[in-house]
Amino acid sequence: MLTVGCEKDFLAENNASAITLENYFTTAAQASASINGIYPTLQLFTATDGYGESPWESLEFPVGHATSLGQSLYNNGLIRHTNSSIEPVFRTVWVGFYNGIANANVAIKRIPPIFMNEATKQSLLGEAHFLRALYNFYLVRLYGDIPLITDPVDFTSPDLYPIRSPKQKIYELIVSDLKAAENSGLPNTDKTGKVSLGAVKSLLASVYLTMAGQPLNGGAEYYKLSAEKAKEVIDAGWYSLFTDYAFLHDRAHKNQGELIFQVQYQAGIKTNDLTAAVTPSKIGISMLSNEYGAIMPRSEFVKSYEPNDKRSQEKQFFFTEYTKKGSSTIVKFGEYALYKYFQVEAAGPGGDANSDQNWTILRYPEILLIYAEASNEISGPTQTAYDQINLVRRRANLQGLSGLTQNEFREAIWKERYHELAFENKAYFDIQRTKKVYNLVNNRFEDAFAFKNESGATFNEKYMLWPVPSSEIDANPKLKPQNPGWE
Amino acid sequence: MYKNFICNYLQIQSCIPPKLLKVMKLTVVLLVAAFLQVSATTHAQKINLDVKNVTLESVLTKLGKQSGFNFLYNSKMLKAAKPVTISVRDMSLSDVLDECFKSQPLTFVINDNTVVVKNKVIFAENTTLQQIILSGLVSDQNGQPLPGVSIKLKNTTTGVMSNNDGNYSITLTSGQETLIFSYIGFTTQEVAVNNRKRIDVTLIEQASALNEVLVVGYGTQKRADLTGSVGSVKANQLMERPAVNVEQALAGRIAGVNVSTNSGRPGGRTAIAIRGYSSVNAANDPLYVVDGIVWTSGIGTLNPNDIASIDVLKDASSTAIYGTRGTNGVIIVTTKRGKKGTSQVNYDNYLSFNWLPKDRKYDVMDSKEFLFVEEEQYKNAPKFDPVGFAAGKYQDPIIKRKKYLVGNTLGNRELFTLDQSGVPQPIYNVDWQDMTTTNAISQNQNVSFTGGNDNTNYGLFMGYANEKGIIKESFEKRYNVRAVIDQQMKDWLKIGGNLSYAYNKERRVDESVGSNNTLRQLVEMVSFIPYKYEDGTYGYRGDYEGLEKGDNPLAQVYENNPLYNSKVFSGNTYANFKILKGIEFTSTLGVNVINNINPYFKSTKSDLQGGLGKNYSRITSSESTFWQWSNRINYAKKINDDHSIDLLVGTELQQNNGLNWVSVTSVMPDDYYSYNNLGAGATPLAPSSSTNAFQMQSYFGRVNYNYRDKYLLTGTGRADGSSRFGKNNKFAFFPSAAVAWRVSNENFLLNNKVISNMKLRGSYGLTGNSEIGSYKSQANLSTNSYIFGSVRASGSAVGRLANPELQWEKTSQLDLGLDIGFFNDRISIEADYFLKKTHDLLYDAPVPATSGYTVVTRNIGSMENRGIEFALNTVNINKENFSWSTNFNISTLTNKITGLGVNNEDILYGTKEGLILRVGESAGSFYGYLRDGIWGTADAEKAATYGQKPGDLRIKDINNDKVINGQDRVVLGKGIADFYGTFANTIRYKNLDLIAEIQFSYGNDVFNQARNSGEARQGLANSFATVLDAWTPENQNAELEQVRPTSAGYNYYMDSRKVSDGSFIRGKNIVLGYTFSKPLVSKWGISSLRIYASAQNFFLKTKYFGYDPEVTTYEEFSFSQGFTYYEYPKPRTFLIGLNLNF
Repeated sequence: MLTVGCEKDFLAENNASAITLENYFTTAAQASASINGIYPTLQLFTATDGYGESPWESLEFPVGHATSLGQSLYNNGLIRHTNSSIEPVFRTVWVGFYNGIANANVAIKRIPPIFMNEATKQSLLGEAHFLRALYNFYLVRLYGDIPLITDPVDFTSPDLYPIRSPKQKIYELIVSDLKAAENSGLPNTDKTGKVSLGAVKSLLASVYLTMAGQPLNGGAEYYKLSAEKAKEVIDAGWYSLFTDYAFLHDRAHKNQGELIFQVQYQAGIKTNDLTAAVTPSKIGISMLSNEYGAIMPRSEFVKSYEPNDKRSQEKQFFFTEYTKKGSSTIVKFGEYALYKYFQVEAAGPGGDANSDQNWTILRYPEILLIYAEASNEISGPTQTAYDQINLVRRRANLQGLSGLTQNEFREAIWKERYHELAFENKAYFDIQRTKKVYNLVNNRFEDAFAFKNESGATFNEKYMLWPVPSSEIDANPKLKPQNPGWE
Repeated sequence: MYKNFICNYLQIQSCIPPKLLKVMKLTVVLLVAAFLQVSATTHAQKINLDVKNVTLESVLTKLGKQSGFNFLYNSKMLKAAKPVTISVRDMSLSDVLDECFKSQPLTFVINDNTVVVKNKVIFAENTTLQQIILSGLVSDQNGQPLPGVSIKLKNTTTGVMSNNDGNYSITLTSGQETLIFSYIGFTTQEVAVNNRKRIDVTLIEQASALNEVLVVGYGTQKRADLTGSVGSVKANQLMERPAVNVEQALAGRIAGVNVSTNSGRPGGRTAIAIRGYSSVNAANDPLYVVDGIVWTSGIGTLNPNDIASIDVLKDASSTAIYGTRGTNGVIIVTTKRGKKGTSQVNYDNYLSFNWLPKDRKYDVMDSKEFLFVEEEQYKNAPKFDPVGFAAGKYQDPIIKRKKYLVGNTLGNRELFTLDQSGVPQPIYNVDWQDMTTTNAISQNQNVSFTGGNDNTNYGLFMGYANEKGIIKESFEKRYNVRAVIDQQMKDWLKIGGNLSYAYNKERRVDESVGSNNTLRQLVEMVSFIPYKYEDGTYGYRGDYEGLEKGDNPLAQVYENNPLYNSKVFSGNTYANFKILKGIEFTSTLGVNVINNINPYFKSTKSDLQGGLGKNYSRITSSESTFWQWSNRINYAKKINDDHSIDLLVGTELQQNNGLNWVSVTSVMPDDYYSYNNLGAGATPLAPSSSTNAFQMQSYFGRVNYNYRDKYLLTGTGRADGSSRFGKNNKFAFFPSAAVAWRVSNENFLLNNKVISNMKLRGSYGLTGNSEIGSYKSQANLSTNSYIFGSVRASGSAVGRLANPELQWEKTSQLDLGLDIGFFNDRISIEADYFLKKTHDLLYDAPVPATSGYTVVTRNIGSMENRGIEFALNTVNINKENFSWSTNFNISTLTNKITGLGVNNEDILYGTKEGLILRVGESAGSFYGYLRDGIWGTADAEKAATYGQKPGDLRIKDINNDKVINGQDRVVLGKGIADFYGTFANTIRYKNLDLIAEIQFSYGNDVFNQARNSGEARQGLANSFATVLDAWTPENQNAELEQVRPTSAGYNYYMDSRKVSDGSFIRGKNIVLGYTFSKPLVSKWGISSLRIYASAQNFFLKTKYFGYDPEVTTYEEFSFSQGFTYYEYPKPRTFLIGLNLNF
């Protein structure tokens, strides 16, 4: 009747609040927006649920140096090494980073044909390559052999149900992505939080160091590459150590000095629960509404620092007391808390309750220590290597090292990594690549599979990797078999 | 002469000259057979007739057909009539009748569209008979006058009918006669006169009378002719139990329609499931159709007082005419309209008094109990955390309390005083449940003006409802106004329309489930901190070290203000054309325009959202316009009395356009601004907006065939196109068929003394579901944002994985039914069996996340619902002054998921994955760990293998791998009831009526997470008093683990302790009403007046420990019945009201 004849138009669907993939990627602005869209995945490190559980903590707990809230089943499962592949964090990280990779893949595929300034285009692509490499780097270390996805996936592509690729292939992509980024004309440093050439080279140094160790066992060749890349960063003089550890967690020094690459937060735009997670549970000191006590360093860990180490002194990396909120009374915690992530401007007296501390991915001391470690593996301790580690130590009011054997120097560097980069998501990956764990009592490095840590857990093959989330294997049985021990 | 009689036939006696009355034995004989076809309205007045020597009866039959008038006569009487010969053209009916009756011993009266044939008055001078004139009023259960009731003298054919006001008067001879009152749809009643001059009678409605007219999709049908399964509720039944909304008015009325009032919040959180659930991702709500137009604004905005009837279509045969929207059943609401020949004012009101029933309160710890437990926790700390204890992590609570003494100089709040022995004792002991709840008084007022004449009906309806919640400050107000008019423009054209406006304003206190919201704080706010200190500031939980932060519930009520304003304008018009005999064309156009503005303000004095000292404002708004245009042709044809056919064909267009937008800010310089000056906020958040549109285009048809009222057949089909589906699947076709056999019309049952009605029904058909939201088939990009240099940078990212193959969800349904009535339908039974299978479930199925996406909306999975519905209605006693009737209905439901996803993988959802969809289980089953008691002292060794100690929780190690983790979870229960129903009795004694209604539900479980936070976190917050009975070495058989500080190792599982049997029996409603006698009220100028008092939710019997087992706090999940976390308590209600007509 009256309705016949217009059906095609009448039933057409046009979404005015979202753009479809087909009609996008025609302008420079769209290219730029698509690059911006790859970054937010970085914020998953500090994404929290009700008890302050978040992926950055999950990367720390298996190491055994921290405790968590009693009711946080998942955190405690990670500490005790009793989790199963069902636990949500395994999925959060997998889903998040693959989503980041998908966004990078779309940008890398769709930006090149856009008619726009070539230098800008190359630099944008450089950011995409770096971020894809970063996401893949986390994935391959956590999950082992993973699907290698380099193209956008749609409902009909074979990559919708991919198989796993050997980790070597993933590392090849990571290295080639970083090399592409290195040559894309990125600025040396960036104080706004974007990818910079310094970040690219630093990550590459870290990737090479990882490839040199387990499980790839690339050995000398990669130690050499790692040392060279770290040296490039050092020699460029782009970064310098802060004079005050407080600069690591204040607002004024974001993306500056020794901070090479950070995840961005800003009051009024996006805040996080980093401060709430490290504040002792319901202690009543914080201007923030949450005090989770989700991750508390074990006292054994704090005591493992050398006696005069500035970093273990009150209100450097840790604290044990604070003024009660709205009063001058001092509240003693009866335990150590991580001052490193306590943002005074937000949570302290007169704080504005906007917890917007950046999460640090790469920091200059790590580059110094990478250089020291990688060069030590090639040629034993050199003065240049000592100089780098001693920069880190002297800032902590410790004596410079000298005259060590290659073995002693190696352990000294590892220990320095534990202490300087504490709770920065380095320790678990160090255990993976070295198969050694840090014995907090005698300050020695023990065989990871033979040592019961302070939390009562002993590493085994199972905890060298995370499981592929069980829901992912349900959705794609081609990913079987599950990682060893997680079946 | 007849002209003298052309006055209202129903008042015929008063028109007769008094002199005549004395001598006249008036005999009015009625034959009701043809009466119900009065529905036809206007008819041709010009008669053509050419007959020779035929009976008067056959002439009258012909005249009836031509004129459309109804003829009332007694066949016996006509036997005395002479044969008729007449030949006329284009003559008026009255002239033709004059001609026909010229030489007959009979005469006639025309009244309205009815011709009554009667004996000619015989003047018998010498006869002086005793004359008694009896009069009275006939009304229904609610005191509404019933016009047109037949009142007969028993064992004679003499009788009268009640007039438009329900009045009758009849002339008797002895005063010892018995009268029989009968009316279609009501149980016939016999009344002995006993020399009375006035008898008022109340007739009882038959629950499912065969002649009841039901509204089915795009038309009406008599119940007797029905082949499908349709339930119906009329206005007068709705009046029995005043309800705030349509859903609650429907509760318990119809078998197979499960209405759950899931909250005590004003307006409730009502959920309706018709014959179970058929969808995982798409909506499970029924389709609401109001006066022929899909109602998009939420049925809560409709005034229940405006409703003339609600018809619920249940089986596929009835719902298939709604195609893709029919899967979850259809609820058809017909609103009240003006009535011909009346002019009425109605006023209804009620006042209700609501309170939290004492027997339903949670038993929580008072101040002393809390402090006792805190001490016990401290004592147990060394056992569970020796290292922490040694390091001084725990503080002796006695010492801690001394920091909070009256007069302390630490800047702490004054919460304790020292008793004589120097022990700090609490100053305050607040019962937060008492403090935060109130005895709420609600009111409801409705006025309507209705009327009509031969060609015009009109109605004006106004309503005001102010429902106050039993939690302070919560309310829902509703203002409704509606105007309706119907006009017979021409013989062949009728038009009408309906304009309505509704304004709902609501304030809630049950927002943010899972956070420390008001309802949670009713339990978890400690008693030793006051509502306000002497300085006027609120008491916060954070005022005492070691407690979790949070507002006290009353502070929260005052300092958090979430408002919901909804304005709905709706209008619809129709035009009905009679094209040819039996063919009608109807066009209906309807529009709903909805505006929602929901402001929210949190002041600096609340510790929620952003914490103390920081205020927060948000306005969430949306606007949408929906229109629907339907065009249809109906064709009715009768072929020689044996066959009748009804045909319907039609088309329909629907379109919806919506825009949503949100503005948020925080840190305004002053709380004064509330949400009225968002620009003043120092920290505005990004605004957001989105659109939402869909279109539908449909073609539908139906055929009903009836053979001698014995065999009935219905076929239905609808082709629906929706914008929401993939390019290749826009259209789908939904057919259905039904048959019925009216066994009682077969010769062998025709005059059966026992079985008065019997019908067997069967139907099968296909319906669909498209309620998945828009744009699901498209590859939309999403937007996100990041920060560069402290400034927001917008980004684009992959959004939705496109599925161009996306199509309808389809449900097939089989229905087998039996209707049976005994003893003239004094006992009637309606029973149905149904089997509903849904396939191509619309489902956000997981895809490998390696694609960058996690789900794709696709058609995968299947589900099954089966059940039996049984309704029994009996009239147990039916005497003049005393009657008693019973309604009982019961429905069973078995829901089972039969397929999911690509690999039948489980879907876990809900808070802490407490809900599961699993093949073989009921949808929305509860999922978690099995609690296996508490490790006893004797189990120490075994406990140690799990890293546990005596006094710790023992979780069953399902896979026996010596580790308790996610793989040890099992299905713990289900929220869907095995069976449910209603048992109601209505008793009437003289002017009093008493209605009692009991609701029951069996086999539904409740998963109450309050037992997580309200039992397992002692010391952080207040707990249930059950904690006092926790494990100790002396109390080995405890249900709760030994108390200890939470940081000393507490386990926090979604486990079987939180699941309890939610079966219940509820005193739904008890009403005592009094209808004033007619003579009394007529002196006041009133035509009827009823007053009543009612108690609702007057008792609740259940094993469930919480406020009410009919509950969910998670309406955002598709299956969450019984899944709850601190719900709004349900009030006990006492109500008084009146219904007034004049």
